[in-house]
Amino acid sequence: MSCQIHISVQEAEFDLSAVNRAISADRTDIGAIVTFSGLVRDFNEKPDVLALTLEHYPGMTEQALEEIAQEAAERWPLQAVHVIHRVGRLTPGDPIVLVAVASAHRQAAFDGCNFVMDFLKTRAPFWKKENTRHGDYWVSERSSDAAAARRWKEGDV
Amino acid sequence: MTQRANNPVSDLHPEGFTHIDAKGEASMVDVTEKAVTAREAVAEAYVEMQPETLRMIVSGEHKKGDVLAVARIAGIQAAKKTADLIPLCHPLMLTKVKVELTPELENNRIRIETLCKLAGQTGVEMEALTAASVAALTLYDMCKAVDKTMVISGTKVLEKKGGKSGHWQMASDSASVQQDVSQAEVSLQATNEATQGSSVVDVRFFAGLREALGCEQISVPLDSDSLTLAEVKELLITSHADWAEALSAKNLLMSVNQQMAKASAEVKAGDEVAFFPPVTGG
Repeated sequence: MSCQIHISVQEAEFDLSAVNRAISADRTDIGAIVTFSGLVRDFNEKPDVLALTLEHYPGMTEQALEEIAQEAAERWPLQAVHVIHRVGRLTPGDPIVLVAVASAHRQAAFDGCNFVMDFLKTRAPFWKKENTRHGDYWVSERSSDAAAARRWKEGDV
Repeated sequence: MTQRANNPVSDLHPEGFTHIDAKGEASMVDVTEKAVTAREAVAEAYVEMQPETLRMIVSGEHKKGDVLAVARIAGIQAAKKTADLIPLCHPLMLTKVKVELTPELENNRIRIETLCKLAGQTGVEMEALTAASVAALTLYDMCKAVDKTMVISGTKVLEKKGGKSGHWQMASDSASVQQDVSQAEVSLQATNEATQGSSVVDVRFFAGLREALGCEQISVPLDSDSLTLAEVKELLITSHADWAEALSAKNLLMSVNQQMAKASAEVKAGDEVAFFPPVTGG
């Protein structure tokens, strides 16, 4: 059975339970859905984050997410991969990203979800600008994100 | 980092009129150092007339012939002559001029919409306005024998793309607004259209790099069949010395036609290239 892939880059908030329902609608072969929700923190490189603005590269971003989801579906027996990423202005506490991965068994769903997030962080063209009490700045990359993505290549997971 | 800040001698008018210098004298703006980008402007004008005049034009009964076709050609010709008519306007190599005339029977008028495009260093709104104005004058000229009460009105710029000021569009309530194009797909479409059939590569910049360069999009002319991404970057630095530092950042990412690419990747005419900082989503 082919993997159902759904990608969305949007300004609107997403509904976690609606995504879960959409994945499992009209089928009973799914044994596990692992979802990851990322939220906007009020502290990052600097404290007092008031808001952040997310920029993306329309076209390329969606394509990159699609490729990451496809690659996950090639590595594990996945039944669905849904990725929703928000853009525009967000404030602390707002949900920013949702990855939902379905499989017959939990391990593949956990690994697939982890993999999609690691590569989303390092390959999908999104950029965050944080607005703090001390001014605005573009968030810089984290070496821990690059390392997290690399471990999938080295096969030590 | 504006282009103005690069001018060695600041002879600009303190209040921002670009065509009058600090001494109050008319002067043509020096655009030598300005970036070559895909530019586009849309303008409109209306010619109001008696219902009978409009009916005659639409039905093709006018004794001077096809009024709309003549006005359309007049508008296109006029766009090409703009620099001869407007004293401080730069002569431009237009790559596209479109004039559309739409009879609006319910409003007893003809709407004229014009579009001018080029890849160049200065905007094309004067060309679009001139095309609209002359198309309107031609309509008047062809119909004045039957209707002397015609009114030319509403001549204005509707939209402008490309260059330092990015994408500007007349707001629907007629007040002007500056639009942020960082996420507007419309600018991407404009790029693709403008590069078709010409030997340029369209280069886009994102996020912190876009802000550091003060540029979102630029066309790079190709002097050979293909270049590597590294060579495109060199060309940009050669033409914009002040971009050297930002473009030399070791961690810069690159893409060709929206696929991540290495510095050695080949780039051909019509390709879309982008440079951007490491990604920070999620």
